[in-house]
Amino acid sequence: MAIAENNKPTLASGCRWGGTPEEPVLLFPEGAIRVKGTGLAILGLCDGHRSFSEILAELQVQYFGADARRIREDAERFLEQLQEKRILDIR
Amino acid sequence: MTAAPLALIAEITHRCPLHCVYCSNPLQLAAAKSELQTDEWCRVFSEAARLGMLHLHLTGGEPAARADLEELVSAARSEGLYTNLITSGLGVSRERLKRLVAAGLDHVQISFQDSEAERGEWIAGAKSHAHKVELASWVRELRSAFTANLVVHRQNLDHLEQMIRFLEGLQPDRIEIAHTQYYGWALKNREKLMPTATQVENALRLVNEAQARTKGRIRIDSVLPDHYARFPKACMGGWGQKMILINPSGKALPCHAAEVIPGLVFDNVREKSLSWIWSQSGAFQKFRGEKWMQTPCHSCERRTEDFGGCRCQAFLLTGDPKATDPVCTLSPKHEMVVKEISRVPAESFAPQTSEPIWVYRSNPDRFVSTLQIRR
Repeated sequence: MAIAENNKPTLASGCRWGGTPEEPVLLFPEGAIRVKGTGLAILGLCDGHRSFSEILAELQVQYFGADARRIREDAERFLEQLQEKRILDIR
Repeated sequence: MTAAPLALIAEITHRCPLHCVYCSNPLQLAAAKSELQTDEWCRVFSEAARLGMLHLHLTGGEPAARADLEELVSAARSEGLYTNLITSGLGVSRERLKRLVAAGLDHVQISFQDSEAERGEWIAGAKSHAHKVELASWVRELRSAFTANLVVHRQNLDHLEQMIRFLEGLQPDRIEIAHTQYYGWALKNREKLMPTATQVENALRLVNEAQARTKGRIRIDSVLPDHYARFPKACMGGWGQKMILINPSGKALPCHAAEVIPGLVFDNVREKSLSWIWSQSGAFQKFRGEKWMQTPCHSCERRTEDFGGCRCQAFLLTGDPKATDPVCTLSPKHEMVVKEISRVPAESFAPQTSEPIWVYRSNPDRFVSTLQIRR
């Protein structure tokens, strides 16, 4: 199940941000995850407006010099894991 | 110092229009007149948020039996708590659901007893199935997050596939297949509810198939019933480690069933703050950490994963709340669980049975009177 260029990932219903600006927490029905570093950089872009290719382009700017294929693979794996947990909708 | 608790389980009432035979509420239900008032609950929610808690689970009984549910949701949400309503659905009309969602409700969990009305209502002891199905469609329409919960046991596991497909049809975000846990009313009915080994194996296979079928669309959670597991469940994420449960009259408990353990004194949020209770209450400290553990738990490498299992189950089955949960294959008393499940007959009953085959959950105020009559 690959993510298409024009898919717009967004938080699934029942999932929202909580915690504090310094320590953001992603809340969902069965629990919460503290998101840091690259995870936070990726999820912060999943607003339902940006397409997957736009997200990748912004990550490429943030992580200047990183291998584009590597960014794509990592982001894809991360987003698909969250989709399986029903934390993210990808459509 | 123990880390801050993560979740508050608020049993806001023990009143319930259903009488489910698998209910894990205590046999001694809290009377309606002893319930915390609206302002008392709101203060507790505010204390919970200040303590760093993230989730609030509004449960009961039937939480919708309280007329102030909307107010409670609104107060919790304004404190930033993730607010989850665990309901049978009865008492939630379309209009009321709209008000709850507007008040900030994050998630609705509706319990189902079966895929068929007659069988479900035989378990619930009340007419309820059609309303649940209707409520599920309103939850979808209002785009609220939705979990469909199904409690399974020997009387319904033979048609699990049909039940899972029924739940899929309701288009929830999540499905929770919950094997009955034997506390309270469920323990009274254990003989009729305990599944057979074959049913448990089939259930595992069917859940796996359903997970594959609904991947990315519905999340299906299911836990092996602990009597058939090799190791016990990590009950409550460890005693006094992650959660505080407040019962309808304000008693702070480390878990749903804690009142069965003799000698524990439970503090009340009417007299003490949540923060004091978390750090000072004797009941929370009793089985916190590892000091209380006996052999084999105290030297077991799994002790940080499952914390020796459930203290209440250890007491209910062995008479000693410090014992290793006997469902653990390492427990010296495990044989009693093996014996218990080897005695499980394959029989199941039809809803038409003229005599009730089990004890239906009572209601708080009625229970006292029937208890007195029986005595």
